[in-house]
Amino acid sequence: MNNFMHLLFSTDFAFSVLRVMTPILFAALGALISNKAGIVNIGLEGTMLVAALTGVITSAYSGSAWVGLLCAVLSGVIIAALLGFFTLKFKTHIILGGIAVNMFASGGTVFILYLVSGDKGASTSLKSGVLPNLHIPLIQDIPVLGPILSGHNVLTYVSLVAVAGLYYLLAKTPLGLQIRAVGENPKAAQSVGVKVNRIQFISLLISGFFASLGGAYMSMGYLSLFTRDMTAGRGWIGIAAEAVGRSTTIGTFLSALLFGAADALANALQILKLPAELIGTTPYIVTVIALMVYAISESKKKKRKLTKAKLKETKSS
Amino acid sequence: MKKALSLLIVLTIIFVTACSKDTSSGGNESTASNGANDALKVVLLIPGTLGDKSFFDAANNGLNEIKQKLGADTKVIEMGTDQTKWEPTFNDIASQDWDVIISGGSQITELMNSVAEKYQKKTFINYDTDINEVASNVYAVSYATNEISFLAGATAALLSTSNLPHANPEKEIGFVGGMDIPGINAFLVGYIEGAKYVVPDIKVAISYAGDFTNPGKGKELSLLQYKSGVDVIFNVAGGTGLGVFDAAKDQKKYAIGVDSDQSAMMQGTDDEKANLIVTSAIKKIDQVIFNAVKQMQAGTLTTGKLEIAGLKEDGVGLAENNVYQNVLSEQIRTQIADLKNKLASGEIKVSNAMGMDTSKIDEIRQSVKP
Repeated sequence: MNNFMHLLFSTDFAFSVLRVMTPILFAALGALISNKAGIVNIGLEGTMLVAALTGVITSAYSGSAWVGLLCAVLSGVIIAALLGFFTLKFKTHIILGGIAVNMFASGGTVFILYLVSGDKGASTSLKSGVLPNLHIPLIQDIPVLGPILSGHNVLTYVSLVAVAGLYYLLAKTPLGLQIRAVGENPKAAQSVGVKVNRIQFISLLISGFFASLGGAYMSMGYLSLFTRDMTAGRGWIGIAAEAVGRSTTIGTFLSALLFGAADALANALQILKLPAELIGTTPYIVTVIALMVYAISESKKKKRKLTKAKLKETKSS
Repeated sequence: MKKALSLLIVLTIIFVTACSKDTSSGGNESTASNGANDALKVVLLIPGTLGDKSFFDAANNGLNEIKQKLGADTKVIEMGTDQTKWEPTFNDIASQDWDVIISGGSQITELMNSVAEKYQKKTFINYDTDINEVASNVYAVSYATNEISFLAGATAALLSTSNLPHANPEKEIGFVGGMDIPGINAFLVGYIEGAKYVVPDIKVAISYAGDFTNPGKGKELSLLQYKSGVDVIFNVAGGTGLGVFDAAKDQKKYAIGVDSDQSAMMQGTDDEKANLIVTSAIKKIDQVIFNAVKQMQAGTLTTGKLEIAGLKEDGVGLAENNVYQNVLSEQIRTQIADLKNKLASGEIKVSNAMGMDTSKIDEIRQSVKP
């Protein structure tokens, strides 16, 4: 037990939480922006895979990790644009479109990997780039916080900045207002002159942008290679995190952090020799508990509102 | 309407001609090769796709060798991962004029046995299975993963207690498995026994990823092991295992590969990583397939029972590549070679976790708990 506490309160553990959280957070932000616009992008997992592969291939051929990152982002945005083109222009159902993206990505990445490297499993024969880790000058000297916050991959910091950026975009800018309006009631938005399709298209592009950063992190930061289906469901967990966060930016960030922590905890617990099957359930148990806590607090709020309303009624009558 | 109709007709014509041309050229080719010689016809059915750098690629290498050295007519068919498509493919192929039909994996075993019973005159080779039931015309092979893991464990333990640059004083080695299943635990038990044989008080940290395609998880688990004092990790986790090598590079620690020479596959692109993978525990699937077909030609192949390919049969082995030669000291290498001989001669017996009680496996795991 002592060992366990030692593990849980080590800086290494807190550091690993941020590291594990990053791809989930990117996917969750991608899910958030598309959901806000009322167009549910479930193609995040596929977009991440495509971006992960593009990053590896382009960085291997250009010799620069940054060119790789740029191309990865471009590929993600292109996938999102394609998805938007089919769903908004040709009215394909967005869920079907998303499924198509995921299936295409799972098979297509292996196919392209085979064309480029002659392998179908992993990109080990490509000399791909890795994005640098950042050691932040002042922060890294703070006793406990330093080793937790400093030394992460550059994309981990980008993900944190992206949370703030997305919050600002949604809450403070005209575009954000339009996105929210379109998501809540597209007909009403249209009636006041908002171009619904255009706003949804822009949201999808931003969604693809975030997902591609998550993908690039997987193959060029977290790991240094592409392997088939390497995202291993992180895109889906991102969508779940967005739902647990009730489509708010802060909530999404916190739930992504929670998922990251649960996953990191599941990894750390293995050292303690608890049964692996039990440990494997940790992330899901945490999710269920989080949802329960949320549901209880929510229903309490409602009850309070109801009783208040009733009180008012009785007073007025 | 007329336009549409003519377009349709044109398209149909194009389609039909394109198709027929394709089949006729394909047909020509096969008749040409048939006419040229009366060679043995060997087909390999891959229950998945090539390019896994492991099982399937190794089987394909064996097939190529058969083609080159035995002059056989060969063909490889990737059946994909959709299991419902395996049976029709199997039946199709069995009804054609192939002499030898090769495939492998526990999942394929039942299907292969039932098809083999229908086509008694053909020879079937199942290059990797653990199931004891074998049809009379099937040559089935199981690998002594326990023996090869024994060597891997001994290597790891000797490395951990050596004064190599990246080894630490703690007598602790690691194991990252794909899942807590008999196939993986067969490796684990051999690994633990091998390590204990050379260093009785060795500790083994064990993690299971629960997934074979999640290198991110593999990296996290190995980072934790390395940080807790482990200096070498044996990965038996497919794609997940590739994350172990990333962690090894991160932490400047050693790793051991599995199934194929995983150091060779990184060499040239990431030498730093390749040089940390001291060796790999290899199933010599290509050799097993080649030898089986060769024996069949000579008429000495015994079918109908499960063969065990161990060190004695040269069915398994450690990758003794340049990294192995350069990183490990001569003393360690002679010790390993000595163990190898003892295993091959049967002087050392390794337990097999296949069919072992779960509680017994757990007991073994607990005995080396760090």
